[in-house]
Amino acid sequence: MIAERHKRRWSRTLLEYAIASGLSALALWLSIVLQTRFGNPFWFFFAIAVIVSTWTGGRGPGWVAVVFSALAALYFFVPPYRSWHLNLEDVPFFLTFALCQVGTNWLIAWRRDTEDAVRRARDELEIRVEERTAELKLSNDALVTQMEEQRRTQEALLAARTELARVARITTIGELTASIAHEVNQPIAAVVANADACEAWLARAVPDLAEARAAAERAVQSATRASEVIVRIRSMIVKATPEKGPVHLNSVIEETAALAAGQAERQGVTLDLALDPALLPVFGDSIQLQQVILNLAVNGMEAMSTVQGRPRVLTIRSESREPGQVQISVEDSGTGIAPENLGRLFDAFFTTRPSGMGMGLSISRSIIEAHGGKLCAQSDGRSGSAFRFTLPAAKGPAA
Amino acid sequence: MKDTGGPIVYVIDDDRQIRDGLHSLIRSVGLRVETFASAQEFLDAKRPDAPACLILDVRMPGLSGFDLQQTLKDAHLELPIIFITGHGDIPMSVRAMKEGAHEFLPKPVRGQDLLEAVQKALAANTVARGERAELDEIRSRFQSLTPREREVMDLVVAGLLNKQIADELGMSELTVKTHRARVMEKTAADSLAHLVRMAERLRVHAQK
Repeated sequence: MIAERHKRRWSRTLLEYAIASGLSALALWLSIVLQTRFGNPFWFFFAIAVIVSTWTGGRGPGWVAVVFSALAALYFFVPPYRSWHLNLEDVPFFLTFALCQVGTNWLIAWRRDTEDAVRRARDELEIRVEERTAELKLSNDALVTQMEEQRRTQEALLAARTELARVARITTIGELTASIAHEVNQPIAAVVANADACEAWLARAVPDLAEARAAAERAVQSATRASEVIVRIRSMIVKATPEKGPVHLNSVIEETAALAAGQAERQGVTLDLALDPALLPVFGDSIQLQQVILNLAVNGMEAMSTVQGRPRVLTIRSESREPGQVQISVEDSGTGIAPENLGRLFDAFFTTRPSGMGMGLSISRSIIEAHGGKLCAQSDGRSGSAFRFTLPAAKGPAA
Repeated sequence: MKDTGGPIVYVIDDDRQIRDGLHSLIRSVGLRVETFASAQEFLDAKRPDAPACLILDVRMPGLSGFDLQQTLKDAHLELPIIFITGHGDIPMSVRAMKEGAHEFLPKPVRGQDLLEAVQKALAANTVARGERAELDEIRSRFQSLTPREREVMDLVVAGLLNKQIADELGMSELTVKTHRARVMEKTAADSLAHLVRMAERLRVHAQK
């Protein structure tokens, strides 16, 4: 590689010297031919040879031309002709010629060097600019990637958090259900055993009333225990009821829309909020109400997952209703709800989704009813469905 | 020590109210009942030698119903087990039945269903116990044979004639006849066929 470049430089230098020699020879030939023809001395060809040689090859080839032309002038054009002898009176003439040539060489070389330096500086600058531009582009790209990553992480985090909350809720419900089932089933099993025993004692040929009574008493005890278990569970649920306060549903809807935005984008759903700016606040638990709206929104988006060839739009609407009522609607442009399913939508464990628990709408309805409202569904069975709930507006001025 | 108080039903359940209910229910049909709050309590108790069955709650603190089933199996205490569970699923019941559970009933169990299961289990246990007792009797009879008598018996059972046996064991035919008579006497065999049947039963049981 380096040897190759070295070789090329050498051949170039050789070429430059060859040009210098060739040009000088040409100048000599022209001068001789023209002077022989016209009598006047035609020296300036030598000047041209020096200029071109220096210009193309630099100082070295320039010097070759200078020396060649000086020697040629001395030999051919300074009397006595065709002799190396120089008469004293011709010395100024010859020296002027020679110095002119040297000066020309020097001027041209200087000019050439300056231009080279300028060009080099410009090239260097260009390279530096290019380098810096590339660096900037690189760091810009990295920055964009990082921002994209951060956005994705944030979205994933949000999704994970929503999912976690959902799973935690379902798990809690599941565990609670299993635990309640066991707690209630035990005393009931005891009631059944004792009641059967009571019956058996009475059914004997000679009924044993004492045993029958004892069994009946135990059945009553167990039944009481079952009822106590239920009371305990109820009080636990009541205790777990969060605090209530005035809730501005428009901001709850906006928060919910922000939570659902990631999923909407992934599923190609346009979220459309139609909010009544004059909406009155309601009295309730904002987290529970948000759960309801989020649940309805997620249901709506999932209902549109099979929609092709028309827009998927989820509209969340808030409206003021007379007298002192607030209505929230979540409307989707999905495939609607089959009429036979419409009546069972709010039943616990009813679901049309393979992975669904069938708890969402049932819980949502309980929450709305606990807030003194109503949740209902509408669908024409073809082009989408709407879930609406109404809540009484909070009383009092500041509420 | 042979117990003559009739069959016993063991109830193991950690819930006292259920225990009391089952106790009363089973007593009402004239069966003996013993209740235990845990599997360990049952294992620690002295059990009379009588036909019996076990009513077992699957879900119990400590040793679970399945654990007890395994423990009894390992100890060759083959009692029929009726499992009761509040959250029985199919895999669970399949597992229990494979391990030899007699019945698998959902909780709350109807008295009639439980009593029927108990009667069946006790009947099965009575038959099994009878067979086991018979087998023990046969075994002890066979164990009373001298080595020489045993050799003769093996060849008799294999279908050889007295003469062949005499040649085989290098003794006189008369000696064979004497040994053979002793064998029939000691094992209380009515006939050659009876002897063969008893020997076969012992062999089959030994292989199990």
